[in-house]
Amino acid sequence: MSKPKSQLCEEKHFNSFYLDHIRAVTNFAYYKCGDQSQSLDLVQDAFAKIWENCSQIDFNKAKSYLFTTVNNLFLNVVRHQKVVFTYAKESPYLDQTNLSPEYLLEEEEFKIKLHTVIAALSVEQREVFLLNRMEDKKYREIADLLNISQKTVEKRMSGALKAIREKIKGVNI
Amino acid sequence: MTCLTFEELKTMNRENDILKWFNGEITTEALKNRYPNEDFSTLEKSQFYSKQFELPQIDAQKALEDFKTRKLKKKTTKVVPLNFKSFLKIAAILIVMLGSSYVLFFNNPTSYSTKIAQIERFNLPDNSEVILNSKSQLSFNRKDWKKNRTLDLQGEAFFKVTKGEKFTVQTGVGTVQVLGTQFNVKERQDYFEVKCYEGSVSVTYASEKTILTPGKTLRIVKGEQVIVKEFNYKNPAWLVQESSFDNVPLWQVIDELEIHYDITISTKAINTSILFSGTFTHTDKNIALKSVTIPLKLSYIIDGNNVEFYNYDSH
Repeated sequence: MSKPKSQLCEEKHFNSFYLDHIRAVTNFAYYKCGDQSQSLDLVQDAFAKIWENCSQIDFNKAKSYLFTTVNNLFLNVVRHQKVVFTYAKESPYLDQTNLSPEYLLEEEEFKIKLHTVIAALSVEQREVFLLNRMEDKKYREIADLLNISQKTVEKRMSGALKAIREKIKGVNI
Repeated sequence: MTCLTFEELKTMNRENDILKWFNGEITTEALKNRYPNEDFSTLEKSQFYSKQFELPQIDAQKALEDFKTRKLKKKTTKVVPLNFKSFLKIAAILIVMLGSSYVLFFNNPTSYSTKIAQIERFNLPDNSEVILNSKSQLSFNRKDWKKNRTLDLQGEAFFKVTKGEKFTVQTGVGTVQVLGTQFNVKERQDYFEVKCYEGSVSVTYASEKTILTPGKTLRIVKGEQVIVKEFNYKNPAWLVQESSFDNVPLWQVIDELEIHYDITISTKAINTSILFSGTFTHTDKNIALKSVTIPLKLSYIIDGNNVEFYNYDSH
């Protein structure tokens, strides 16, 4: 279904556009900056830009515009801040059959190390890696979302995986 | 492309397979079977635990409400969608505007008019000269003047026509056609007169055609043709601020006086159909009135703009 440009200027359409994408785009911002409230701020700013320029944005391209805007705002505002991630409160362990205290401790340590390594990845590698991991997105989908080629996505992903393998053992807790 | 060693090729393949694994294209088992000596535990754990980061908890509705509290202004360059209805409206307005401007500026006849006691002299597009006497109106179509030299005349005018296409003067009662000449057309109430000064003039009156040669006059008074003596002057008298008459009914002379002096002339017990020959000036009202009344043995009283003619004898 194609909607004409100006529809984004109508409150009804803008609201549904907002509600459709707010979660995904906030997660995206979060992968980049690792800060929950900041990611929401970024996203609200991006939506504000879209609302202000609604007459110039093609409805079909609004989603891509939204992600691009978040990306740009991120680069302008928060790129150099330290990234800190937290795990979900009740995250399961890989091996549910082995819940010995030793195993659990080892796994907790690994999680913290992983956490550190991911935070230390370049923004480009991290966003690709987390879009793939957290949202099960295929490389093709990530490429479309970020407006880059699939080859680039694969290169960044490869770099992220290499960094994880190499660095995770050297992390001191 | 550089040559790759077997080891490098193997590493590349493994890296590709790991990428495929993360992309869900091959299973963990398949990967492990393909590379039995490799330890994938770090990646496997990473793959698993990196799914478990806490994501921002977004209450979408609340976020939208917060968003709405921002004071945002849409950029003023808002595009109004071109729906067909408004397009039609605009088109209709344009058509009306174009149409009316065409009528106003191109198709509208050019017109000149004179008020009482006013004479106007001007040139037509082909440089033919027109002198419009008092209280007269002349109109013509400037646009196709070259093809169609036709004028509408009410009142009196003198024409010096440049040679060219047929030149036509239409009046309420008759039509005058020439090719290039000088002539005077006078059309007043119950009075139609064409005088030819040069060349030849064709006059159509009541579907009857008369050819006038220089010095000849065609005069119709109250629907009847009046025979007029030949004249030998070169221009109409009114061009030198006089009105000249030869055997013209008095009422016509009175009309002429009224036109030139903006007065109302009333007559009491006077036969206005008596004929008058002579001239009156356009510059002095008293002299003009005298030059008309004295030869006819009449007198007059002026009361503001009203003038009364009466028989000299009766007072």
